[in-house]
Amino acid sequence: MPTPKDFMTSVKPTWCPGCGNYGMSEALRRALAELGWEKHEFSVVWGIGCHGNGADFLDVAGMHGLHGRSLPPAAGLALTRPDLQVIVEMGDGDGYGLGLGHFVHAARRNVRLTCITHNNQIYGLTTGQASPTTDRLMQTVSTPQGVLEQPVNPIGLALAEGATFIARGFAGDIAHLTQLYIAALTHKGFALVDVFQPCVTWNKLNTFQWFKERVWRLEDRGWDTSDRTAAFDLSLSTFHALTCTPDECTVPIGIYYQQEGVPSYGDELAAASVPGYKQAESPRDINGILDAME
Amino acid sequence: MLLPLKASEGFEVRIRIGGPAGFGIKAAGQTLAKLFARSGLETFDLTEYPSLIKGGHNTYHLRVGTDTINSHVLDTDILVALDHETIELHLAELGTGGAIMYDPDDFDPLSLGIVDLRPDDRCMVPVPLKTIVPEVGGPAIMRNAASLGAVLGYIGFPFEPLQESLETQFARKGPAIIEQNVAIAKAGYDHARANECGFPYRLQPVPENGKRLLVDGNEAIFLGAMAAGVGFYSAYPMTPASSLLHLMAAHGEKEGVVVKHAEDEIAAINMVIGAAFGGTRAMCATSGGGFSLMVEALGFAGVSETACVVGVFTRPGPATGMPTWTEQSDLRFVLHASQGEFPRVVLAPGDHQDAFDLTWRAFNLADQLQTPVIILGDTYLSDNRRTVTRFDGSEVNIERGLLVAEGDLAAHPEALDPQGRYARYKDSPAGVSLRALPGVIGAEQIVNSYEHDERGFGSRGEDAHTRVIQNEKRMRKLELARDLVPPPVRFGPDRADLSIILFGSTKMPTLEAMRILQREGIAINILQIVTLWPFPAEEVRAFLESTRRTAVIEGNMTGQLRGLIREHCLIDVDETLNRYDGRPFSPDQIARWVKEVIQ
Repeated sequence: MPTPKDFMTSVKPTWCPGCGNYGMSEALRRALAELGWEKHEFSVVWGIGCHGNGADFLDVAGMHGLHGRSLPPAAGLALTRPDLQVIVEMGDGDGYGLGLGHFVHAARRNVRLTCITHNNQIYGLTTGQASPTTDRLMQTVSTPQGVLEQPVNPIGLALAEGATFIARGFAGDIAHLTQLYIAALTHKGFALVDVFQPCVTWNKLNTFQWFKERVWRLEDRGWDTSDRTAAFDLSLSTFHALTCTPDECTVPIGIYYQQEGVPSYGDELAAASVPGYKQAESPRDINGILDAME
Repeated sequence: MLLPLKASEGFEVRIRIGGPAGFGIKAAGQTLAKLFARSGLETFDLTEYPSLIKGGHNTYHLRVGTDTINSHVLDTDILVALDHETIELHLAELGTGGAIMYDPDDFDPLSLGIVDLRPDDRCMVPVPLKTIVPEVGGPAIMRNAASLGAVLGYIGFPFEPLQESLETQFARKGPAIIEQNVAIAKAGYDHARANECGFPYRLQPVPENGKRLLVDGNEAIFLGAMAAGVGFYSAYPMTPASSLLHLMAAHGEKEGVVVKHAEDEIAAINMVIGAAFGGTRAMCATSGGGFSLMVEALGFAGVSETACVVGVFTRPGPATGMPTWTEQSDLRFVLHASQGEFPRVVLAPGDHQDAFDLTWRAFNLADQLQTPVIILGDTYLSDNRRTVTRFDGSEVNIERGLLVAEGDLAAHPEALDPQGRYARYKDSPAGVSLRALPGVIGAEQIVNSYEHDERGFGSRGEDAHTRVIQNEKRMRKLELARDLVPPPVRFGPDRADLSIILFGSTKMPTLEAMRILQREGIAINILQIVTLWPFPAEEVRAFLESTRRTAVIEGNMTGQLRGLIREHCLIDVDETLNRYDGRPFSPDQIARWVKEVIQ
């Protein structure tokens, strides 16, 4: 059975020292090891961004796709390979900017896959522009007057579109994040884990320290994960004033909402129950279709 | 009364049904085509309609006969006019002695003030649709059945095939509806028999031919993909590709194809790439606008060496353009789409049989070359039905190339690097590397949109030496492709007055024009370029050098194929015929043009 270390490749990570991605990748490797998944039993699809550079560091048969487009190939893979578990890793700029349409449709589609968002509230790889989740009025190189838009509320969007597992994690709490990943990876449907992952280079506002003063665990306060309306209210905590003190704004982490027993998209299709490559082992007999056409 | 009739090409009848959108004109016409096909006759139809659900002028044209029919024509023998606009728009195509069927309760054609319409050279066939239908108690839409009956009655075709066809069509609606439709059709049939003006064409079933298969281009592509073992199809609706999505959706679940109507074309092709990564034969199709959205992902498939099939069925652009009409203006677009350089194959079916054959071959090529294959079609092919010999599934073979779908990679040491790790992009003389699917033990890899090293690592792909190795490895696959792709096809005599090069659906009217010209003692020959990329420069050059006078016929304004020939063969053709009004070339237009240029 693989250990967390077995999932590492020989490529040395290129993330900045102190980057939140280290905690996220450590938590994922621990979760995979704890679940006992072998490398050939799952696949990962990455988008483009700092998070995506992690494709080189995880030893798996995976795909490093286009910016903003990690969810569609993951759905294509999951629906044709029921024998594999599929994980998506995407960024906030990647998944909630270019890929927001795919994200909303993925939530309502409920294909069985785990969607992990590396949410650092900034564009890191392209040197510090505002992302869809950057706090309102924060100044960046692309928003010198401050961001004039509300941040995207991924949890609220996923709830609105009927996602069946929605959680938020913090890269600074690896033990907690590992448990969130395990819950998401074993969920039978679309599972979102949006992870706050401070960018030490470009985001001087939402730092590790900033989060440490504000995060609290939902389970510590007996959160009811079946209450969709309450989860939506809670998701609005994404919106806070730029200069709010730890007393004024907090960041709840944990499982916001989970609904079990909902059939996933693939569960409802007989065609999705067999690996797709088996359809092309020999030519398909088209005589039945031809007879009906004549 | 016996009227002098314009000579028809071969033994055939040309029927045009015209009227406002929403009258079920296409469905009625296809019922007719199907019963002729079932009776062993040859047919070819052309539906022309604006991008509307109701209103606007729709027409359905059908050729039916006993000889091979390669394309539509404009000439008409029977004009079924469900409104007076049909007569105004199409009278010129109706030869002397041709028949006009109309409802005398709607209008009298002779009182429309049309100068060219005289009662002594056209046969007037009043069929009182509005009277017949209420007589048997049917709703207005049943008028179509009366029209169909009238057409058959007029050409002396037996009534029984129509009765059988109506019985099948309305089987689910119960015996009462069937009886009504049959009674209305019979009334139309009898009316036309009583007003036939001695119409000289008598079409009869040819039972010894057996049933002929009637398909449009999208149906042929669908059947080719099914035979090839397609396991995933994804698309966003776009005319004229939508019917392919409908076919896949209707049959997919039973046949083991996951079919996804995606949120947009970007998702559609990315889903295809994901499914293909899992080893599934995967396809998407769209028109130029949707393909514009797919372009980035096409490059992803190229650099990641993903085997997939993309259908691009051209309609007139740019932008939304003319959604329901045809053009061949996306040739350069599909050849060059996406940034950077990567190998692709572009196949252009010229007719319905090509569409079936090239589609299943496209899946083999994609797997053998591990790169995207584009099927370049157009509305003329996608939308229009013709009779073909039933497609022979036993001719289909599956070549998956260097693929390991299951098991342990330890059994394939040739695919490993010196450290014993799987090298997905290992350099090789032909440029193709062994593809091991996720799920295979030891198949850890990164299928990458970044440039990458042989294991797929993006961070190591930026090394200058690695970049050159991987770039050259991929592009080398084009040389392998040259040995695998279908070569150009030649039609006609060795020596000709004009030698024509073309691609795609222009093959159909040009073959028909060749027959017309032959009857007039003029010889043309044709080189159909089936594989547009890699461009068959040697074959094209040999053809050009063996001929006296050369031409290109293509459905675009700027001469995209002509330019390709000049670029790759360093030879310019003598003449070109372009069309870019949204309509397909008609055989008589081509024949007329040939006569002009050879003078």
